[in-house]
Amino acid sequence: MWLHPLLVALCFASGLALAQSSPARAQDRIHVTTTTTDLRSLAEAVGGDFIDAVSLVPANFDAEEYQPKPQDVMRLRNARLVVRVGLDYDLWFDRLLEASAKRDIKRGGPGYVDASFGIAPLEVRGVTVGPGDGHAHGSGNPHYWLDPKNAEFITANILEGLTRIDPANAGTYETNRKAFLERLVQKLTEWETRLAPLKSMPIIAYHNSWPYFARRFRLDFADFIEIKPGVPPSPSHLAGLIQKMRTRGVRIVVREPHEPERDAAFVAVKAGASVVVLATSVGALPNTDDYLSLFEANVATLIDAVVAR
Amino acid sequence: MTEALGFLWPSFLVAVCLVGIHAYFGIQVLARNVIFVDLALAQIAALGATVAFMLGHPAQSLATYGYSLAFTLLAAVLLAFTRAWATRVPQEALIGVIYVVAAAASILLIDRAPQGAEHLKQILTGNILTSGLNEIVVIVPLYLAVALVHFLFRSRLTQSGSLFWEFLFYSTFGLVVTSSVALAGVLLVFSFLIIPAAIGVMFASSLPRQLAIGWIAGTLISAVGLAASFAFDLPTGAAMVCAFGAALALAGLIYPFFRNDRFIALRITVAAARWSVAALIAGSAVQLAVAPRADQPLLDILEYAAPSLRGLYFTRTEAATWQDANEYAERHGLAAEQLIELERRRRTQGEALDDVAVQRISSFLKSYAEMRKGEQFVMGEVRARSRERIRWSMGLGLLAVALLLAPFPWRRLRARLSG
Repeated sequence: MWLHPLLVALCFASGLALAQSSPARAQDRIHVTTTTTDLRSLAEAVGGDFIDAVSLVPANFDAEEYQPKPQDVMRLRNARLVVRVGLDYDLWFDRLLEASAKRDIKRGGPGYVDASFGIAPLEVRGVTVGPGDGHAHGSGNPHYWLDPKNAEFITANILEGLTRIDPANAGTYETNRKAFLERLVQKLTEWETRLAPLKSMPIIAYHNSWPYFARRFRLDFADFIEIKPGVPPSPSHLAGLIQKMRTRGVRIVVREPHEPERDAAFVAVKAGASVVVLATSVGALPNTDDYLSLFEANVATLIDAVVAR
Repeated sequence: MTEALGFLWPSFLVAVCLVGIHAYFGIQVLARNVIFVDLALAQIAALGATVAFMLGHPAQSLATYGYSLAFTLLAAVLLAFTRAWATRVPQEALIGVIYVVAAAASILLIDRAPQGAEHLKQILTGNILTSGLNEIVVIVPLYLAVALVHFLFRSRLTQSGSLFWEFLFYSTFGLVVTSSVALAGVLLVFSFLIIPAAIGVMFASSLPRQLAIGWIAGTLISAVGLAASFAFDLPTGAAMVCAFGAALALAGLIYPFFRNDRFIALRITVAAARWSVAALIAGSAVQLAVAPRADQPLLDILEYAAPSLRGLYFTRTEAATWQDANEYAERHGLAAEQLIELERRRRTQGEALDDVAVQRISSFLKSYAEMRKGEQFVMGEVRARSRERIRWSMGLGLLAVALLLAPFPWRRLRARLSG
């Protein structure tokens, strides 16, 4: 068998380059633990091959009501960087950090990243209660990652954290983030044009998870089935809601995969609308494997629902 | 009003069906002393559904229902045996064990079947409000069939007998509970089961009369609970459960008037009421004297109902400061709501707000929240200081009122002292 020496050299060179750009062994990677899958996806976008990211809350679960497991403490023991949603969304994470007994990743430590830093929270009613116990969303609506533009802030916070603990590779992280944001901006304009026909079309959602999404894409989430989290809707609220849907001609009811199917179907049937299942987290539905495809899937589902009617 | 009726009557029909079958089973369950058996069966059915989810069956499918049913029948076998096993350990203890183990097992399995989390929450709270004719066409034939079986074998089924009849009792009961818990939730089904039956058993001794009283009471209470939930804007299931609880308390109050001498019953009731009010006031007096800065539930409720009561112990400056802070707090709250509304409107109407404008609104909202909290702190502080000032005088005054209200045998005491 004869190989061209040039080809051999090329193979060798590319192998060398590969070995340089990504740590060959898995244990050399920086372990990053995030609370949600969305943050994991964004951390991967910044960290690339240099990090090994895990998220604690399974995609289909309600992150606000997550109960940590013993394995989660182990996942934190290995972590050099933790990334959380903040805004009182993942309050259970504070106790977990306390249990991990690692000073570096605690609040204020070099390995601690609150991804909400710098975000402009919407619908702020009351003050945050800080770590430990909490009141529902005292520091504003926490679903800020559903505005793709906020990914700029989130990735900036992650970049800062990674640079703190791994200054040697700061350049690569910055390049990764820039490349990701370029793709995101491109996609964002595409999504905006695709969703333009839905502007000011009234939509009902099960829970108020969508203000950031609504603001970016100029959608009108007119009302919600469950106004207080965890409290089933009262009959007068549902009656008023159905009345509103009829007068305003609401044709779409949005629910998340973990929210009760029957309640959403009930109001939809009464008001002649159809139920659309949208994901608020990466991996909650098929074809939502990363941050970009999460929006891709949601945009496509919304448009399909409007076209189908 | 007509709108409310149009909205509530399907739920009311469901409630009537559920009361119909559960009042009967409730009387049986009370007689057998297996009060929590419905919780155990419902939890086992939920465990079956969770297993089905884990194996990849969708929520409303026949397979899921089949798993639920199979698990329930297995539990019926277990329950039929518990009476035989329950020689030293009471049967109710074994039922409790079945309940907690089934609940824990489903939590373990949820890890592998995420939809199970929603399902488990659903069986706890249920939602009778969103059930209606679609559900009625399923449950009515089922309940009629169960009722027919129980009517045909009434002599065997109304008393505990051999293993087979026990099994038949628990499996038919399991069938009923599996379907009803999915509609109304564990809490409401438990109320349907126990409370009409308890009221029936209280006021009658023969089964037909107990049933009739239970049905009438259950239907009326359901109507009241549904109406209250509409009128006061409350979650339906929880409102109905509280209505059932209140009705049982009321029945307990009326009960003595049917049994004993009416005059004695009245005297006992009045004495009990006076004791409780006196204890409440005395407790508040002690709380005020010992910890004037702490919450004073009785005073707070009274002041909430009649704000002018504060004038009784506030000085003029305190009243003015309190009023001022209250107005500012409301103003800040209102301003924040207006800003939130403005931002909400501009999402779809007119020119979109740019990121800088949203950032500014956001920081304004945070400031308003802080300022509002500051004003509320001032209000709390003014009230606490004012209460500190009157802790002894008002505490003693309240204690005196409590002593006056309490039905102490003053006369006998005086007679003994003088004699």
